[in-house]
Amino acid sequence: MTPPDWSVWDVLLTSAVETLQTTIAGTFLGALFAYPLGVLAASNWTPVWVHLPIKAFMAFVRSIPLLLLALLFVSAVGLGPFPGVLALAVHSVGVLGRFVAEEIEATDPKPLLALQGTGASSLQIIQHGLIPQVLPQMVAHLAIRFEMNLRDSTILGLVGAGGLGFYVFLYVKQFQWQKSGVLVLAIIALVFAGEFAAWQVRKRLI
Amino acid sequence: MPKEVVIQIEDARVEMEGRTILALDHLEVSRGERVAIIGNSGSGKTTLMRMLKGYVPCQEGKVVVMGDVFPIKDTQKMKTHHRHIGMIHQHFDLIGRETVWQNVYHGRLGYVSLLKSALGICSERDLQICAQAIHEVHLEDKQRRFARTLSGGEQQRVAIARALAQEPTILLADEPVSSLDPALSEDIMDLLVSVCDAYELTLIMSLHLPELARKYADRILAMKNGKIMWDGSSDSLSNDRICEIYEFMGTNGVVNGNGTRASRSAFTWPYGWQGQPLPGG
Ligand SMILES: Nc1ncnc2c1ncn2[C@@H]1O[C@H](COP(=O)(O)OP(=O)(O)O)[C@@H](O)[C@H]1O
Ligand SMILES: [Mg+2]
Repeated sequence: MTPPDWSVWDVLLTSAVETLQTTIAGTFLGALFAYPLGVLAASNWTPVWVHLPIKAFMAFVRSIPLLLLALLFVSAVGLGPFPGVLALAVHSVGVLGRFVAEEIEATDPKPLLALQGTGASSLQIIQHGLIPQVLPQMVAHLAIRFEMNLRDSTILGLVGAGGLGFYVFLYVKQFQWQKSGVLVLAIIALVFAGEFAAWQVRKRLI
Repeated sequence: MPKEVVIQIEDARVEMEGRTILALDHLEVSRGERVAIIGNSGSGKTTLMRMLKGYVPCQEGKVVVMGDVFPIKDTQKMKTHHRHIGMIHQHFDLIGRETVWQNVYHGRLGYVSLLKSALGICSERDLQICAQAIHEVHLEDKQRRFARTLSGGEQQRVAIARALAQEPTILLADEPVSSLDPALSEDIMDLLVSVCDAYELTLIMSLHLPELARKYADRILAMKNGKIMWDGSSDSLSNDRICEIYEFMGTNGVVNGNGTRASRSAFTWPYGWQGQPLPGG
């Protein structure tokens, strides 16, 4: 892989940006569904016929390997970053939703009951009681999920779902080791940066 | 002027898991009364309050609270009922990661629509009521602090302000000072009684120490096994009488003949069970 071939600089930049965008879009799209689903999956908030199927669905989604999900979406919507976004989103729903549900189940119910006692409605109790109590943990989980999604999305290209991984795979197939080596370095740097960012977020919260 | 009855209970029974937890033959509370409930832990003090609040249903009997006949089925009516009855708890039960002001504002949630509370729109009246409630408990200088950063006594004051912001008619206080040290307990009790006078509230509180009940209430209910064993004015509750009551109550927080507390720990009755003479009694 040496010496590194820096002629791939342009490819590196555009595909790194694509990986980053895929991660951000996938994580937040997933979070958008994970939070409400997570609330519904909390066993102390909803009846068993609501939370059990949702929990089962999230467990099912989690059990599918990410690359397989990406492959499924590539075959459904074609090559490019879009199937990558969808795969990350679906995977995140399974993982984040479970955290949300578990966090809510572990929340002290007494202050929430006290809020109910003021005459607040269920949605007001969620807004003024539940969310403030779980928000720091929620954000911490989101940061961790972002960090892991970034790592995962660098290899989504293997199945044609865009980003840095796609070019790594391309150059490897063409035996252009010097070029692929540069991209691997870029992946390492990107993942490292993601981890640092997530750590910064969590440090401020806890 | 005839006294207005705010709580009326006849032959009410609360059962949970097949066990009768509360069996009240007759209880009437008039507006403005200051009632203390004493009794061992497990005697049903909390359950009585939760029943009045509408949290636990009573299986039979007649319960009327401020004209609302139990059981209250309609959710809107239940919300109104909740609003009328403020409640403070042993462990304060505030939202720790919200500020003092926000916690007091929670008392207004029953009055504002979801949309308004979601957008953080407060009416002039809401702001004024919250400010007055915070003033009442002397926490103006701590309004912006997170509730969890306050001391226990301060947190209980926030809880009192939250209840006041509800504009209730009845205030239930379930062991309001049990997790506070004695000096602080007196401060909180003084405050509780003074705000109830200022807001003309009917106060019903459960207290773990009979001397607090005698000092702060004008009427005392003594409970055992879900029944009211004694109901009378606190003046008529003499030391001898307390001895008698605690004798059949099985002694948690025993008061001996000199009116001082002999033991606080549960079920440490050194002289056997019922019918035994009390030390010094
Ligand atoms: N949710 C419940 N389910 C079953 N039993 C309960 C429940 N809540 C309270 N009890 C029982 O009711 C009795 C009275 O409890 P409680 O009202 O909390 O007493 P106190 O407040 O006087 O200590 C206790 O024996 C307790 O075990
Ligand atoms: Mg209790």
